[in-house]
Amino acid sequence: MKKISAVIKMIMTENYIDKDILFIVKSEIRLKILTELNEKPQTIREIVDNTNMIYSSVSNNMNKLEYKNHVIKENRTYSINPMTKIYFNQLMEFKKSIDVIQNYNSLWYKHDITYLNIGLIEDITKLYQSKLIETNPIDIYKTHNNIKRQLKNSRNVKGVLPYIHPEYPKLIENILKNNGSVELIMEKDIYKGLVSQMDEKLKRKSMREGRLKINIIKENLEIYLLICDDAMNLGLFRNDGSYDQNRILNSSSDEAMNWAASLFDNIKEKVI
Amino acid sequence: MSTKAKNKNETQEFHNVKYLLTSSMRTLILVVLYASKKNLNEIRDELQKPSATILHGLKELEEDNLIKKEKKYYSLTSNGYLLSTNIIKLINNWYSLETNKQFWNNHELSGIPEEYLNKLYLLKDAEFISSTTSDLSNAFNTYIKLLENSTTLKMILPIYSENHFKYMIKLLRGDTLKDLTIILTPKIHQTMRRSRYLKKSLLTNKKVTVVETEENPKLFLTFSDDFMTLTLFFKDEHYDDSQILIDKSENALRWANELFKWYREDE
Repeated sequence: MKKISAVIKMIMTENYIDKDILFIVKSEIRLKILTELNEKPQTIREIVDNTNMIYSSVSNNMNKLEYKNHVIKENRTYSINPMTKIYFNQLMEFKKSIDVIQNYNSLWYKHDITYLNIGLIEDITKLYQSKLIETNPIDIYKTHNNIKRQLKNSRNVKGVLPYIHPEYPKLIENILKNNGSVELIMEKDIYKGLVSQMDEKLKRKSMREGRLKINIIKENLEIYLLICDDAMNLGLFRNDGSYDQNRILNSSSDEAMNWAASLFDNIKEKVI
Repeated sequence: MSTKAKNKNETQEFHNVKYLLTSSMRTLILVVLYASKKNLNEIRDELQKPSATILHGLKELEEDNLIKKEKKYYSLTSNGYLLSTNIIKLINNWYSLETNKQFWNNHELSGIPEEYLNKLYLLKDAEFISSTTSDLSNAFNTYIKLLENSTTLKMILPIYSENHFKYMIKLLRGDTLKDLTIILTPKIHQTMRRSRYLKKSLLTNKKVTVVETEENPKLFLTFSDDFMTLTLFFKDEHYDDSQILIDKSENALRWANELFKWYREDE
């Protein structure tokens, strides 16, 4: 853990960061001014009109920012210094990661995230535009019904399945009948359960044609991932080892689809 | 929502960022526990701060569900782990910019998409080498030396440079280099094709793959399986061959690879 002690030392000596950058972080107003200027160069008046900040405080803080070289003034228009822009964007990326953690708090909190490697966690902002689908007392099958709808409309599906819902075999058969392809990662027992409910002929034909691939994993699979044509779905296990069927993170953004594809490949590497 | 309430809400926008970054105690505890779970004594030994200060920070983080206490041992919750990973990423991002500030600040960065500027933490081990007045080709010679033992090389080449071509051809004639992929602009590609020599010895060499990009790559990236180098343009659009950024870490190779793919998939 040499790397961590290096980070600790950095924080203690504050040499990882220019004091001038911390100066930005310390003020809500300065952060908001830079958010505005990061969009486009603007005058103080324009910033005041676009936000609900008071003229005097914008003007006051703008002077400080200009003094510290974070913004550049030309006539009356201010723009963000290119170097400050990079620091600021990295900060905004961090803010986005906090949002992802907080907005989907019930997905993460008290759940097992050991299947997410460090690279995936560093890229967690790729899940920014997700929807958290949660069951409720009036609609206890909400998560499953959502998944079912996606499976019905998909041609290519990849899944990491720690359990088999009774409706899955039929849904998978349908994809294969329509010439689609399915690749799954699962434990041996789950696999046996799945194939015993599938049409044997269709199974063999699809496997021969490379449209059905099953990867058997030897360790306990404690994560749920389903990548359909238009969206990815992530489900986690609780810390007590039980699968949480009540919530699923669903996202159709390209970024999230890429994130899910890396997660799938990561888990696939564990298959011997 | 009344204007007043809205105002109040808006001023909260950056609350979390401020909360986490303006107290070095909260940040420190999260990072210390990121390594492993610890009891109070161990945390105090590592941080060299008074117990009262540490306990105060621990209590705050516990209330935020970022850490938990079990049998005197503190550890990160799953949320805390996600957050700490991203705090360390931010610190390394800033550190990476800070250590090579001169390099980043002097050059045109438009060739590096924002997504990759946000991942400079992967280059935190990078060092930059400058040519000096006493050794004008220090940067280029260092570059050449790195290339010598590579079996595969990938490049984003934004310049037409006889020097570089000559050296590439030399490598291709040797036995070590097996595979060279070059991304370049149609204009440079065209100019190269006009030379029969370059066409024969470089462009149509069996070991070489050429990919054109419609983008305007304002960066010269080279990487193999064990190093990556980066040179950039000055802000006045002139290519700067006097400063080269070198990184041999796995992270840097990941960065280079992803950036390369970004340009490649753009074809």
